[in-house]
Amino acid sequence: MNELAQLVDDLCGRSTGDELWRNLEDTGLTRLTSNQGAGPAEAAIVLSGLARHAAAVPIAETDLLAAWLAGKAGLSVPDTGPLTVAIADAGERGGRITGTARDVPWPSIAVVLAARTADALLVGLIDGTSHGSIDFDLAVTELRRVDAVVADELVRRGAWARCNQIVGALDAACDLTVAYTRERVQFGRTLSKFQAVQHSLAAMAGEIERARAATALAVAAATDYGFDHPATDYAVTVAKVAVGRAVDPVTTIAHQLHGAIGVTIEHRLWRSTMQARSWVDEFGSTASYARRLGRITLAADDPWDVVVSYPAPR
Amino acid sequence: MSEFDALCANDAELGLLRTSIREFLAADRDEFGWQPAVDCWLAKWDPDFSARLADAGFVGLTIPAEYGGRGLGHLHRYVVTEELLAHGAPVAAHWIADRQVAPALLAYGSEQQRHRLLPRIAAGQLYSAIGMSEHGAGSDLAAAQTRASRVEGGWILNGSKVWTSGAHVAHQIVVLARTSPLDPDHRHAGFSQFIVPTSTPGILIEPILLMNGEHHFNEVIFTDVFVADEDVLGQIGDGWHQVTAELGFERSGPERILSTATLIFSAIRALGEVDDGVAADVGDLVARMISLRQLSISVARTLADGRDAASSAALVKDLGTRFEQDSVELVADLLDYVGDAEPLRALLATARVHSPLFTLRGGTNEVLRGVVAKGMTS
Repeated sequence: MNELAQLVDDLCGRSTGDELWRNLEDTGLTRLTSNQGAGPAEAAIVLSGLARHAAAVPIAETDLLAAWLAGKAGLSVPDTGPLTVAIADAGERGGRITGTARDVPWPSIAVVLAARTADALLVGLIDGTSHGSIDFDLAVTELRRVDAVVADELVRRGAWARCNQIVGALDAACDLTVAYTRERVQFGRTLSKFQAVQHSLAAMAGEIERARAATALAVAAATDYGFDHPATDYAVTVAKVAVGRAVDPVTTIAHQLHGAIGVTIEHRLWRSTMQARSWVDEFGSTASYARRLGRITLAADDPWDVVVSYPAPR
Repeated sequence: MSEFDALCANDAELGLLRTSIREFLAADRDEFGWQPAVDCWLAKWDPDFSARLADAGFVGLTIPAEYGGRGLGHLHRYVVTEELLAHGAPVAAHWIADRQVAPALLAYGSEQQRHRLLPRIAAGQLYSAIGMSEHGAGSDLAAAQTRASRVEGGWILNGSKVWTSGAHVAHQIVVLARTSPLDPDHRHAGFSQFIVPTSTPGILIEPILLMNGEHHFNEVIFTDVFVADEDVLGQIGDGWHQVTAELGFERSGPERILSTATLIFSAIRALGEVDDGVAADVGDLVARMISLRQLSISVARTLADGRDAASSAALVKDLGTRFEQDSVELVADLLDYVGDAEPLRALLATARVHSPLFTLRGGTNEVLRGVVAKGMTS
């Protein structure tokens, strides 16, 4: 596991963008779970590691989402090159499926469409566009029909990936902030010597460690039981709330302690903070997962059972 | 073994232990009628409960069998502790002896002290207080001035301690005192620990009442109190190290998350049909609790493996106790949606009185945040 983290660090250290993608592809990291027989634990290390380097590559979309979904639907996708998914609610009428997929991550690359109808999920390959919104109007015969629970697992996988990525991005923001407070001198001493600054750093660390602990449970659940298990559903729901609630305080403190330099385009802080802020809304908002966890808790025999572990099916 | 279950402290063996303590608590409550309380580990002193709990094998879990304990691991203790707190059981009488004195005796005590005290702790029949803070030494514990002077066969204690929980009903107090004068360059040097029976001549115990009149804290005044050499705990001069070495367990334990658990759970159970907004509030509250518990368990696992987690433990206490505090007003908001909120209002009122203590006891959060930040920037 440490070797895998080290490999990600090395690749990110010597390449970015398309070159980084090629290096990741050469080392098998772009299709780790779909092609290389690796599991969620390895995927988590790669995703958080890449995010810690603010590396802009669609590994989660390619491996955990698009390639997996295509496999579920019996569609073949290229073995190389990036993939993404477009998730949309769709109408089915007169043999045609229509709808609009919004907020498609990496919309310009090869897209696996996941169109949710009232009772099923329809999956097909479509062309990407230059913007994040994709309209589609397709013959049903062009798409493969899979069970609706596949759509739930798809969203769960996406939320799971984003939790791991956000923890990596918040780690990066924290690393930058600690480094800055140790070098920036005002009033004759480094910022890190001021107690008010120390307390902000501690608050930041607390939020991140709590998010990491919740995410670790989600990684363990996916590793032990797979993404389609109620334990994973529970742990991802908890993690999405815990991680989601950490993003605002951590990014706010990171910017506050950086002073005005942190909001400039030339400084790299924004690549972590703004990335975390945009990821947090994807695959379901924090509030939607909070509502879900609230409903699960209210329906349980005893709320304490939900705190200890996922409630056993009744 | 499932890592998921291990992270939930619910794998095979711990799961069985959890089931058995739950069964004990349900049956004991049915028979003896105690009510789940907030902050039960400070506030609910019930010697009979402590004895029954011990008879059932749930006290002294980490004490080796040769001293009357169960010889189990820290995570076993974690599971039993969190179940006791989640059910608001009256655990205060044996709490400090079981949580702090037993580990200290195992780490630093003499064989004679272990054989004399540990079996009584494991039986839930020895109640101990800890004398640390003083009028001029709160967060800055090294400013403590209680001193012990060498005499034939022992030491003479003089000074006073404050906030000494349960001293008025305890059998003994473990006192931190200076055995060498303050060296300004080495402020932590020259402290020692003494096990002092509360019946010893020269001890005066006066109540310090909480704002609602509850009596848990005391001022303890020592005037020429003789302590025999055999009641010195550990090494003379090593007191500071002895009291700080085991802080990780105390700072990161379930009592830093669950002091208000009974209030939270009672309110959630009492909610009827609620709208999405209230459901989200419940979800946010529970997500905070679950993620804190996950962090606390990860620290417990690190400590149980014998690895250092001082900074993470401080972090758990800061986050956990602020959660406890926040939870009180979050629950107050939920009561708008409870049909008959009257039974809950009493719990809420107690929680509001105890709430300021959560972020003070065992080291203020301001000090803890300093510990965390130091770990980040050094």
